Amino acid sequence: MAEHTAPGPDDPGGLDEREPVITPSGRPRRRRRRLLGLVVPALLVTVWALASAAGWVSPRLLPSPGRVVEAGWAFVAGGGGATLPGVTPFDGAAGRHVGASVGRWLVAFALAVAVGVPLGAAIGLSRRTAELLDPLVQALRSIPITAWLPIALVWFGLGEGAARYLVFVGALFPIVIATADGASRVPRALVDGAVMLGTRRRDLGRKVYLPAALPAIVTGLRLGLTLGWMSVIVGELTGTTSGVGAMMWAAREVGRLDHIIVGMATFALVGLTGDLILRAAARPFVAWSDR
Amino acid sequence: MSPSPVRSAGGLTAVATDLEVRGLRKSYGAVQVLDGVDLSVAAGEVAAVLGPSGCGKSTLLRLLAGLEEPDDGTITLGGEPLRGPSPTHPMVAQGATLFPWLSLRDNLAWGPSAARRSDADAVADELLVATGLTGFADALPRQLSGGMRQRAAIAQVLANRPPVLLLDEPFGALDAQTRLRMHEWLRGLLAERPTTVVLVTHDVEEALLLGDRLALLGRRPSRVIESSRISFGAERGRATLRDPRFVELKVQVLERVLAS
Ligand SMILES: Nc1ncnc2c1ncn2[C@@H]1O[C@H](COP(=O)(O)OP(=O)(O)O)[C@@H](O)[C@H]1O
Ligand SMILES: [Mg+2]
Repeated sequence: MAEHTAPGPDDPGGLDEREPVITPSGRPRRRRRRLLGLVVPALLVTVWALASAAGWVSPRLLPSPGRVVEAGWAFVAGGGGATLPGVTPFDGAAGRHVGASVGRWLVAFALAVAVGVPLGAAIGLSRRTAELLDPLVQALRSIPITAWLPIALVWFGLGEGAARYLVFVGALFPIVIATADGASRVPRALVDGAVMLGTRRRDLGRKVYLPAALPAIVTGLRLGLTLGWMSVIVGELTGTTSGVGAMMWAAREVGRLDHIIVGMATFALVGLTGDLILRAAARPFVAWSDR
Repeated sequence: MSPSPVRSAGGLTAVATDLEVRGLRKSYGAVQVLDGVDLSVAAGEVAAVLGPSGCGKSTLLRLLAGLEEPDDGTITLGGEPLRGPSPTHPMVAQGATLFPWLSLRDNLAWGPSAARRSDADAVADELLVATGLTGFADALPRQLSGGMRQRAAIAQVLANRPPVLLLDEPFGALDAQTRLRMHEWLRGLLAERPTTVVLVTHDVEEALLLGDRLALLGRRPSRVIESSRISFGAERGRATLRDPRFVELKVQVLERVLAS
């Protein structure tokens, strides 16, 4: 960029490399914005602590923050009472429950990607397929995930199969819809341009459609991952003995609100982490479309 | 006898071919756009196509590029009938279409890579120099200015050494000074690469500065109402704009466009 020659007879173009260039905007403000986002949660926890300490709320309706933190520690590090056989464990069982839930989540999500991306691409690229399948997709996606629970139990019985199926359904539709949208928006000019540059027709999918639609697909994957995770708790209503949701249902039966809140926090933490990992993994492929 | 190729590149010859259009017709539904367009462009000639807005200039280019089928009429390139879009007669559309997820260098290397040429990177480097964009090799298209993108888009298709090049108002969106620089740049580029060019424009000055031949399209349904050689001389540059003969010619053509 340093070599800049003045326009002259030897430089008929007089090309000026000082033409305005947009550079990606910096991110110094981000950290501040992130800190700002902690203000309200901190305030709420303070109010919660004060209310508990002052005895304004019954511990049976809302245990103190200290109690919940203790339970959280026990969930991770163990130490409390022994686990009775046949009873869903809590102390020291974080690894087991998170592992079981995440396992279900990822297996079902992978299946939803394997079905959803090709299905979405077919709907987005072919008007015929869209006319054929779009109404069905729109109808199915309007069914709340809990409404799938009874039929999932009939089809798969109690346990793992039904749980995975529910997570799969939860993750599928955002992936189908975002992929269809992304594929249908690939500019015609890019496809024509690639052909006029000698790209073989059979390479267009991989070299043009996929990269061009990838930002939309990633948006769908993120939504699918999140909705899939939200379906895990429903999936764990199906009688699974392990999983964060299973732990929470068991805690409800014995009235352990602190365990339930620890479960909720675990859901938030794991869900956020999953989204963060997916975003970081996708970043190199979609950074070009960042605004 | 046909002239021998200057350089052979991935099966594509680097020699310009002539372009013949006969009786081209095209309608969209009830709208008849082209009503028997005839046009002959000799090998290596730059044909500037002028015409009122909406008369079918872009439609004509899309047909020449093979992106659409005519209802009637024939198009031959070097005596061969046209068969679909191909790197031998690429079109650069209005609004440069670079691949937004690729760096400038990868954009320029696309054509040679698609042709499985081993020298794709060398070609891209050569074109970076030719476009004056060596400092932007790793930049994404959106990080370039409009003029830079337009140069890059033309260079991208030239990487395949096409015998025919179709340009649809390539500089229409640029400001006057940038456009003038681009004209000089394009003249220099084409001087080194024998190419038959159809340049669609709505700018009379651009047509006269770049064209060897001027084709005027009339109102829709349109046909070529006038095709003439521009014998203004080979040495056209920014000084030409002040030449009284050039100014006179410009006024004449402008009047004919307005009268059509
Ligand atoms: N794909 C299309 N479908 C229907 N009408 C079209 C299509 N493309 C162009 N037209 C019509 O054809 C006419 C000529 O368009 P175009 O070739 O873009 O003109 P120009 O480039 O000379 O401004 C316009 O009236 C336009 O509305
Ligand atoms: Mg046009």
